Amino acid sequence: MTPTSNQPDSKSPLRVKKVIVLTTAMLTFIPFWKAAAIVLCDFGSSAFYAGGIAMRAFGPAFPWFILAVMLFAGVLLAVYVESCSLFVRGGVYKVVRDGLGDNSAKFAASAMAFDFLLTGPISSVTAGHYLSGLINSFLLQFGAGFEIPEKGFSVVFALMVTAYFWRQNVKGIEESSGKSAKIIAFSLAVCFLLAIWSFITIGLRGVQWPPLALQFSPESLGWLEGLDLHKAIGGLGMMIAFGHSVLALSGLETLSQVYREIEYPKPQNLKKAAWLIFAFALLFTGGLTFLSALIIPQELIAGKYNENLLSGLAMSLAGPNILKLIMQTLVVVAGVVMLSGAVNTALIGANALLNRVAEDGILTDWFRKIHRKYGTTYHIINIVAVCQAAVILVSRGDVYLLGEAYAFGVMWCFVLETGSIIMLRFKRATEKRDFMFPFNIKYENYYIPIGMSLVFLFLLGVAMVNLFTKQISTVSGICFTAFLFTVFKISERLNAKKANTMFEEGYRERMNTASASDLQDVVKEIDKPNRILVAVKDPDNLYHLEDVLSTVDADDTEVVVLYAKPVENVLLRQDMRSNASDENDLFTQVIFLAEKYGMPVVPVMVQSNDAFYAIVQVAAAVDAQDIVMGVSGRHGSNAQMERVVMAFSALKEEELKHPVTARIVWEGREVSYRFNK
Amino acid sequence: MPSERIFFMQGQLSKADVIKRLTQAVCAGESGLDAADVLAQVMKREEGISTTLDTGLSIPHARLEELEGFKAALAVLPQGVEEPAGPHLQIKAMFLFLSPAKQMFFQRHLQILSQLAEIFKPDFISSLAACHSAAEAAQKIAAEE
Repeated sequence: MTPTSNQPDSKSPLRVKKVIVLTTAMLTFIPFWKAAAIVLCDFGSSAFYAGGIAMRAFGPAFPWFILAVMLFAGVLLAVYVESCSLFVRGGVYKVVRDGLGDNSAKFAASAMAFDFLLTGPISSVTAGHYLSGLINSFLLQFGAGFEIPEKGFSVVFALMVTAYFWRQNVKGIEESSGKSAKIIAFSLAVCFLLAIWSFITIGLRGVQWPPLALQFSPESLGWLEGLDLHKAIGGLGMMIAFGHSVLALSGLETLSQVYREIEYPKPQNLKKAAWLIFAFALLFTGGLTFLSALIIPQELIAGKYNENLLSGLAMSLAGPNILKLIMQTLVVVAGVVMLSGAVNTALIGANALLNRVAEDGILTDWFRKIHRKYGTTYHIINIVAVCQAAVILVSRGDVYLLGEAYAFGVMWCFVLETGSIIMLRFKRATEKRDFMFPFNIKYENYYIPIGMSLVFLFLLGVAMVNLFTKQISTVSGICFTAFLFTVFKISERLNAKKANTMFEEGYRERMNTASASDLQDVVKEIDKPNRILVAVKDPDNLYHLEDVLSTVDADDTEVVVLYAKPVENVLLRQDMRSNASDENDLFTQVIFLAEKYGMPVVPVMVQSNDAFYAIVQVAAAVDAQDIVMGVSGRHGSNAQMERVVMAFSALKEEELKHPVTARIVWEGREVSYRFNK
Repeated sequence: MPSERIFFMQGQLSKADVIKRLTQAVCAGESGLDAADVLAQVMKREEGISTTLDTGLSIPHARLEELEGFKAALAVLPQGVEEPAGPHLQIKAMFLFLSPAKQMFFQRHLQILSQLAEIFKPDFISSLAACHSAAEAAQKIAAEE
């Protein structure tokens, strides 16, 4: 296409006056394996502590249950894939609100916040134990004659890690998905090495399978101690043991956070990510925990290596001590990096969750106060970090104690999420789903979710059993959840007027804008050979954008989304009046669609007296082959096309390098005109 | 463009005045066209999206059920006429353009709009204003096509 002047032309009253490029981090999309890596940095980290906690709760049968929990993770991943395919923006909180209502959503948010407050401490304290265990191994190897106190060291280390990520989050420095992928690749290599060496050790020493019999400690039965119900009721013991192992599922919910970042084709990539997560978790968490049980002597699992199980596996392998020490070092590096990553994810997750709640007007604006320098919601980040530090101090470095307190949030979130997806099968019966959890019965318009209902009942059963057996978890979880729920309720009342307004307005993307000196600055953002310009104006009329996003090939085509904002004293005021209250509403919806289809877009806003001039001027600047618009209910497609044709031809000064097609698209119809070379 | 449909207009004129005179010129001698009715349709179209370009060309137009072919008239306005919807735009040439309403003619309708917008750039409009007669202007237009 032949550009005319790309500079905002002050001589003509119709041409572009000002160019603004909108940027938001969410407009870049990642492949499925990077998405899987982000989830695994959190979910996979439980491999470092789940086995030790389970061993202490119900004895040597623990590897069977950790393996069972990892297999069950596959079932839960399928639930999450269906949940994500509905594309309810805002994660578990919004899904539960849509499915079960406001109070359940507040409960889910409270439970999830409790989960995040514990994920950070349990991960950082465990990392401290791995590190102190390694230091002690070296001290022992080189005959230092003393050891560092593991619990004290873990508390100090955990506080340092929390402080580091608190600062990073306040500054708004994000960890890249590429870094997560490298961590997971390194961990996988360590896992592979550890597994090979473990099989050699088993080959040399022989194998004794872990028993299936459950040996509950008194504290692991909680309020059921002395009642011996688990002996009287078939399957109850299994449920109790499973309940003590579900903390291995921690971090699985991260999938719903990264879903919006997965690239096109989104549904297929989501499924691939879920399979990858499942396979890794099964081998890494399930497999290594099982090998630990086969190789580490029982008394060491219950004692020395209870809080750093995989270090114990490395040090119990057959071979010279120095090699084992190297193996332990590799395990500890992988563990510290993964567990620290989980601390960061917990902070990010808690911040995102409370932001979603605040956006609904349930928390006062104080919580969403933006940091002057860094633009982050630092009040929320500060509160979460302080709470996590308090939990670390209260735990005094006891991973088992943290593990006992854990699981309340994660279990109830799973229960509510699954319950919500079941409800949405009826509430949104006609909505297209790219994936549906299996085992359904079709009745009229409904797919009755038999399979998911069984999952829901199982989760509810485990959560109920945990209420009685995990005393610390129940008391602390209920207290915290009730406290936060009350805070939400009171804030909502105080904020009632504003809440209603915000609720009606819905979620708004926070836009970062950068003024560009001319349209060439926009061109710099574009490097793909094919370009489509999509003009947008009304957030409720984006069918044409959706049509483009659902059909375009993102590998070789750039989609430039343009909003031509009218300036004061506009020519043809009646044409330019936008239904959007401002560009934020419009681009929030644009980004929502871009994320829905996993297609990157270049959002641009220009100020102009004449939207059609602006459209063809930007189309010329970006060398677009297609100009796509939605239909205007006020003027109709023919008048719109006439104006585009006139404006394009008026701007044209030389022969076109390639044909350009202008299209006006609306549901089931299209008007087009082709400008030939 | 036949020379009898090209008019040089001088003096204080409004856009509506020019449209009215061009409409009358196009409808003159066309038995199936009622000038008042055509004018109403052109003015209705003018209430919608503008037909004036920043090159100084205005193309008021209408698509009429009763037409089977395309009709046009051109006004050259050396002194300029103000575009009422935008105080900074001066119309130096106005091309009244009528086309059949049938959908099969719509692509041709757009092609003509495109050609007009492409040909009638400021330099070309100035050269038309310098012409001494409608015949000379018609020749210039034919040469440009």
